[in-house]
Amino acid sequence: MVWVSSPWKIALMVFPAFILFTAFFVYPIVYAGGYSLTDAAGFSGADFIGLDNYLALVDDPFFRRSVSNTLLILVLSVTFLVPASFGLALLMQQRVRAAGALRALLFGPAIVAPILVGLVWVFILDPRVGLLNHLVEPLGIPPVQWIGGDSLTPYSIAVVFIWASVGFAMTIFYAGLQLLPREVMEASSLDGASRWQQLRFVTVPMMRETIGIVSLLLITNVFKIFELVYMLTGGGPVHSSETLVSYMYFVTFTDQRYGSGMAIAMVVFVIGAITSLAYLALSRRGRLA
Amino acid sequence: MSAPVVENAMTRRGRTMSGSPTPTPAPKATAGRRMRRPAILISAAAYLITFLVVLPILWITLLSFQQSDTILSDPFSLDSLILDNYRNVLETLPLVQMYANTIIIALVSVTIGTAVSFMVSFALTRMVFRRRGTQSFLRFYLLSGLAVPVYVLLFPVYRLDLALGIYGTYLAVIIPYVAVSIPFNTLLLTGFLRDFPSELEEAAIMDGAGLFRICWSVVLPAMRPILATIVIFNVVYVFNEFPFVSILINDPDLATVSLAVSRFQGQYTVDYGGMMAAATLVLLPQLAIYAVFQRHVIAGLTAGAVKG
Repeated sequence: MVWVSSPWKIALMVFPAFILFTAFFVYPIVYAGGYSLTDAAGFSGADFIGLDNYLALVDDPFFRRSVSNTLLILVLSVTFLVPASFGLALLMQQRVRAAGALRALLFGPAIVAPILVGLVWVFILDPRVGLLNHLVEPLGIPPVQWIGGDSLTPYSIAVVFIWASVGFAMTIFYAGLQLLPREVMEASSLDGASRWQQLRFVTVPMMRETIGIVSLLLITNVFKIFELVYMLTGGGPVHSSETLVSYMYFVTFTDQRYGSGMAIAMVVFVIGAITSLAYLALSRRGRLA
Repeated sequence: MSAPVVENAMTRRGRTMSGSPTPTPAPKATAGRRMRRPAILISAAAYLITFLVVLPILWITLLSFQQSDTILSDPFSLDSLILDNYRNVLETLPLVQMYANTIIIALVSVTIGTAVSFMVSFALTRMVFRRRGTQSFLRFYLLSGLAVPVYVLLFPVYRLDLALGIYGTYLAVIIPYVAVSIPFNTLLLTGFLRDFPSELEEAAIMDGAGLFRICWSVVLPAMRPILATIVIFNVVYVFNEFPFVSILINDPDLATVSLAVSRFQGQYTVDYGGMMAAATLVLLPQLAIYAVFQRHVIAGLTAGAVKG
């Protein structure tokens, strides 16, 4: 294709994307990195203070709480979601009437705006108007503070995240299962493998790569949980239910402590980069270079 | 990425569904009798789980027909269902404007994002750079964006918008949406173009076609499926996006659907019925569109799974 490759034609094709991406994606990261080293806040100027913002984060109880909440949600949801969605994909492979429609319904939550997911779940979890407390009330159980109390919120957020992700993860597993060579499955059942043995020694080992991909995807998604917190509790009471990202948003935009906000943003950036690179390394189809 | 995998599985499923029963090895005739009971249990489990997943949606739909004090006292009651909530919401909620704002922003940003990504992907896979190193570096540079959580960009982009004087306008979100879409679009487009034979284009060049003709009338028509995936993924992203729009748009008249939803709790406070009617009015069109384009949406979103 040398014929159409004069330098100015190449420039014409490359520059729009290159400039937009550099100005609104790469430059902002550099800008955030730079700001994280200053004491910028409100309308005051920005003085260079080295790594002080990062050091201050270590002693910030709200930041530590946001990290532990995020990790709690991560552990709860990933350890539950991976086996559950895998099992669900296996279930959907069986003879079930209208399985296609069921799969479509299960995937449904994945297309609903996270902000709307949050609003919907307010009406499930809210101690006063929520469905859950209406259900436990007749059993004589006093209203439970599923959200807005000082301990249960991260667990509830994990449940909502599971709700929103289970069909999505199931769909990827299901696609992977469909692509398993049928001969191997038939051979193993001819050899007298029980269903359990087949699952344990044939299906799961062959799905190892997909299991890794789904796990990493869910991990990256947990670190992006923001709208759920925003709608369910706003991070309260007293920042006890913040996640990393929601606390970054609060520090930067509500408190206007831009320097520390950007330090948290850089923490989010590093975590995101590591998990995404692990993901790309694992899904070999995503050759970078 | 996972796009082709999912797409393959989808078409395979389509074929097997219409013809033979299931893709799994059919149970042996002798096992047939013993299979009965587990088969019923399996179906029951599948339906129960699906019901639990759909339940929250059914719940808010029910609430949207209740009076607000019934929601507090006896929300399960089916005696006093009303339509007043919808009447109120249609009067108080600028539905048309919300959707118009969102559609304008989505159309412009997705069109520009797809166009510039296509151009750079064509250059990366088809054009001959004087130094090959430049080409592979450029691809690596754009794709590295996949690893970045967009939250890092929020504050810097806010400052950029202020500096450029576009803060609070449609452009304030359109430009970042374009920038954020470039890595993923480039990944899918370069992947597709690499596997796509260039004979057609070479023939067109022999016929004297220029660069624009080649792109517009030869390559683009052949790329329809992958373009559909990209457009759907990006449109869903723009419709659901909240962090950027919550910071960059301050004028309620320019609010997108997501931004409007985030204000329902403040707007309707204790008018729970109204809030649920508003939520239902936002949710139902989205689910209806999903129902129509289901297969494309699933392929698009699972392909988008690689987005950072």
